[in-house]
Amino acid sequence: MNNKFDALKDDDSGDHDQNEENNTQKDSEKEKNDREKPQSSTKRKAVVPGPAEHPLQYNYTFWYSRRTPGRPTSSQSYEQNIKQIGTFASVEQFWRFYSHMVRPGDLTGHSDFHLFKEGIKPMWEDDANKNGGKWIIRLRKGLASRCWENLILAMLGEQFMVGEEICGAVVSVRFQEDIISIWNKTASDQATTARIRDTLRRVLNLPPNTIMEYKTHTDSINLPGPGDRGSLTTVEDRGTQRGQLYF
Amino acid sequence: MSGRCCPGQTPSRDIPGPGKRLALPDGAPLPPGAYSTTPGGTVFGTTPGGTRIIYDRKFLMECRNSPVAKTPPDLPDIPGVTSPNVEESKIENNHVQNYEKVSVGEEEQFDMDI
Repeated sequence: MNNKFDALKDDDSGDHDQNEENNTQKDSEKEKNDREKPQSSTKRKAVVPGPAEHPLQYNYTFWYSRRTPGRPTSSQSYEQNIKQIGTFASVEQFWRFYSHMVRPGDLTGHSDFHLFKEGIKPMWEDDANKNGGKWIIRLRKGLASRCWENLILAMLGEQFMVGEEICGAVVSVRFQEDIISIWNKTASDQATTARIRDTLRRVLNLPPNTIMEYKTHTDSINLPGPGDRGSLTTVEDRGTQRGQLYF
Repeated sequence: MSGRCCPGQTPSRDIPGPGKRLALPDGAPLPPGAYSTTPGGTVFGTTPGGTRIIYDRKFLMECRNSPVAKTPPDLPDIPGVTSPNVEESKIENNHVQNYEKVSVGEEEQFDMDI
């Protein structure tokens, strides 16, 4: 049963020591809440809802990544640049993380927040993503924080009604615009992608003429943008003139 | 070319609505393992994809103020992203302000029930 945790451990080796250091500061609280802390030991423990908390349908993990501009992004450096922030199992645990992270609109540079189901890496190569794709919505500056919050609340609350199809969501902060996207497992499943699109419209309150772009991860791999290896969100870095959303 | 009468077209259908939701007082306990009686969310035995734990935005926002939600988590120290110590109070204040502003003002549309 520990397979997925082991797999995740592989790609955040750089963060691991840091996490442990942080954890030692809170020994007293640690005992009490031990099971809520996925990074608190080398053997990751299952994250479960605490007593009287509201369980989520799935556990989710927050990730953060930042790219140094102009540097080619290889698979390796992508994995080095992405950091796990933490995993939660309940509504209350979600807010603990969310309330103690900056909002995407306040991020600087070429940065992304990823919120994925626990065990799914925010990478095309992950088994859950390799046949998948994503809906992309481009946002003018100033909208990312609000749209991201609405997007992830809808995802956590199972508003998309597409079974197991949702993998995660990403907000990408770029120079002239921000992009939010939601990833699903099966790019070829049109009923699912249509339902995700319609739910996005509803939960983000998008005007009917909003341009939304669906991109399969296969296309993202085969048509990478300049200087972008693209495990993150390739499409966001090219063609920024196209489909820009100003609502 | 081969098809004469738009064979590829399927009539579009409405997505089944999420059904009824229950509003709960803040912090109401959830009986463990008794999902069919979940007070906090609405669970459907017959939704596409099986039983789901569903919460609407309004309910999730209400949980934001619970004591657990306010307890600082263990965060990796990422400058400018996580602020475990120094800027904590400042960030929390911002959140409260944002939340209040949002709920009073521009986002009333999210209160509408689907």
